[in-house]
This record gives sequence, structure tokens and C-alpha cells, in this order.
Amino acid sequence: MNFKKILLAVDASDNAMRAVEYVGDIAGDCAGFSVELLCIERLPHRDLYPDEEAWKKACEATRTELRKFLNRARDHLVGMGVSLDRLTEQYVTSCASPFDEPGPACSQGTGTAQEILNALDAGGFGTVVVGRRGVSKAEEFLFGSVSNKIIHSVKNSTVWVVA
Amino acid sequence: METVRGLINRLRPGLHVRACGRVVTDTTEFMSIGPGDVIRVGGRHFLVHRDAVERGYAYKDNKFWVKKCMELETGEAKLLKLVFLESFHLSYGCVKIRCYRSPQKEARMLDLVRGDTRFMQGRTAPDAAGNPVRIIDIISGKRIDLVTAAIKADHETYFREHFPGILHGFIKACEAIGHLHDQGEQHGDISLDHLMREHGTGALRWIDFDYAYETRANPFALDLFGLGRMLACITGKWVHTLHTLGDFGLDPATARLEAGDFSCVHKNEIMNLRKLFPYVPESLNRVLLHFAESAEIGYDSVAEFVGDMRDAVSPSTSA
Repeated sequence: MNFKKILLAVDASDNAMRAVEYVGDIAGDCAGFSVELLCIERLPHRDLYPDEEAWKKACEATRTELRKFLNRARDHLVGMGVSLDRLTEQYVTSCASPFDEPGPACSQGTGTAQEILNALDAGGFGTVVVGRRGVSKAEEFLFGSVSNKIIHSVKNSTVWVVA
Repeated sequence: METVRGLINRLRPGLHVRACGRVVTDTTEFMSIGPGDVIRVGGRHFLVHRDAVERGYAYKDNKFWVKKCMELETGEAKLLKLVFLESFHLSYGCVKIRCYRSPQKEARMLDLVRGDTRFMQGRTAPDAAGNPVRIIDIISGKRIDLVTAAIKADHETYFREHFPGILHGFIKACEAIGHLHDQGEQHGDISLDHLMREHGTGALRWIDFDYAYETRANPFALDLFGLGRMLACITGKWVHTLHTLGDFGLDPATARLEAGDFSCVHKNEIMNLRKLFPYVPESLNRVLLHFAESAEIGYDSVAEFVGDMRDAVSPSTSA
């Protein structure tokens, strides 16, 4: 397994940006590294809104935020020395998106960690990097924890958790 | 339009109604709908008796958007859940979770579980303003924690004689939740008052599915937590805290409880029940400890949780 082939999973959070900075620090000026930015889209659920219009608006805002973050992350990595030919992006749209016909690889929204693990296997990455929210055990239990699940599930790859 | 009196004379002659109100077709202003009114929806007529009330140990909540009714065409008792869009915070221990009451979610769930007696049954019909009114069959029964608490036996007798049957039913109820998750749905409010044991059949049935939440890393984690808390309740015959131990003749000092023995969410609730009741098998206690402060990792799915419970009660591991 090539540990220099990095899968960097992000959302639009501060801890995701810390993970981006960390990867930039480690891989930026080093030869042989490649980085794929992965964003699993998690849109607000339709059930939270009284009508389609309000829901679509909220989904649009979330998608814009995630896309902007990906652009920032890419610029940041490039600024830290990761050349564009070693940098790829994968934006996995939500299967429940109200905007377009989702592709076959859309996100079911049932477990972000599992979808990251699927991408890890499919892409043959040697390293997966995630940020960690630093929440309490109770919150981790009630909301689920992407980093915890990845730590306990990954085989044959390196896991970097940036807290 | 036919009056309430006219409807009763036609559909339920002889029915005594103290005061007849009006026939309502638009339920948007649900606060103004009261006893004696008739709600006409889905081609049926529902005579309102009163608002539903939710009772807990120290509270009584009037649910103004839920009407206890009689369907005049059949004479059956029904609950009509009217559209009330609200969001609020639920407290789970020290964690507050933003929750949304979603009529469309419950309507979808009612379709999903139609004919599945592990869940409450009902249908949805739009009123004249398009509000999705849920027409629910009333389950006559008792909530699960009150069922176990009412069994007149000391804990050991309860555990050896009554618990195996209750656990068997509970595992089936958990599988019902797993079925929802497999369809991408969550129950959303798995609490002790939302699993009823039906009078007559003894079947365990889930009620009330209208809570929805913000998207999260594991959308089913909250349901799983609720199931774990229920398992602690039925195993212990009650939800045990330091304050209730005396009621069961237990001495906190003898139990030698540590912080890791308590729930990781409700810090006063004891999950390590083997310390209180040494005859609780290690294998079952291990399931409970997945929900304790000392747990390294929790369950990811109902299937894992159910699998461990089944292992715990299989003859080879429960000794």
C-alpha cells in the first residue's frame, strides 16, 4: 500500500481545514505524495422544512459552502507546495439531492465514515486523513463519530486524525 | 354543510354529545378545535373528545395538536395528529439536540410500516388546506418500563422468570427498528414511553415517529442509544440510579460503582448492572457496557446490537 497516496476527507468545518493544513505541511514539499480531496455531501433533510422551497434553499446554501471550502482547501494545498498534477478532487453528491439526478456513486447519507472507507478502498489509497471535532463522549455517542469509526475500521492503511 | 348534530343523528344515532360544535375541514388553527367539534378529513368524520395528554413522572403536557376522537362512521377511537411545525431542543444528559416535529416524516413512516404490527398503524389524509392529517389507531397498552416495574417479584425472581420472555419481545422490537434503518429511516424518539405492550396480544409496538433531526455522522446513533437505555431498564426492572438503589434494597457502597459504570450520556444511570445483580450474565452485561462511560466503542448498527443480545441469551454463553 502506498502511504504517500493520501485521501483527505473534508467537510466545511474548522477541523477539516486543520487537516488540510496538516497534509500541506507534511506532503507539500515532499516528492511522491499525491492528495485526493474527498467531500461527502450531507444536505439538510427534507423533514426539517415546511416546504420544498425552503428545503431547496437550505440545500443550495450547504452545497455552496462545501464547494467553497473545497476551493479553499485546494488553494491552500497548492500554496503549500502540492502541485496541481498531484491533487485531485472528489465531490460525492447526496442521493437525496433536490437538484439533479444523482450518479451511481451518490451518498446515501446513512454513514459518512463508511462512505469514506468505501472511497479509500476503491481508490487504493495508503493514507486517510480526517479532522476530529473534539466533542464529548456523549456527543460522539449520540451523533456518531467519523474519526472514531475510521480508526476502528481501517485495515492496511494509515490513519491520520487531526484534532 | 351538514351540522355536527345532523352528522351524529345520521352516523351515530343515540350517541350523547354534551355540546355540539362545528364541522372543521381546515385544521390549520388546531388550538381552536375542541370537544364537540367534528373534523372532516379523508371522507370521514371525527368527533373530537379532547386534546391528548402526555404524562411523565413529573410532568403533564397537553398536546393541543393531537385530538382524541371517535370516527363517526365506525365508532372507533382514533388519534388525529394535526400539523404542528415546531423545532425545539431535547436534552440527553448534558447534550442538547435540536429536534424538528415533522408531519411528512410521520406520514411517510406510516406508509412504510403499514401492516407491520410492530408499529402503530394509521393513515394520512390531507385536510381542505392540504395539511397532512395523520389518523392513528389507538393502541391500548402499557409502556414497557411500567410493565416491568409492575411485576410483583424481587429482582432475581423477575430476572430468572420474567425477563427472558420480555427480552425475547424486546429483541423483536429492536429488529423492527433495524428494519426502519435498512429503509433509511429513523424512529427518532426511542424512549421508554414510546414502546407499548399491547393489552390482549402482549405484543410490543412502537409509537410516535414524528421527530426529525439535523444530518449527522451516524443518523441512527440516537435510536441505538435509546435501545441501549431500554435494555438497561428491562434488565434492571427499572432505570437504576444511585437514588433508586435503596428502593431495591441495594447498597451503593457494596456495589462499588465507578464513573465508568454509568451511562455515557445520562451520567446518573447505571449500565453496569452486574455490579448490582451478580446473576446478570457477563455476556449480557457486556452489551450494556457498550453504552457506559467506560466503553471504548459503541454499536454502529441495530444488527450488531441484536446479534450480541442473541449471543448473550444463547445457552452456550448465558451461563
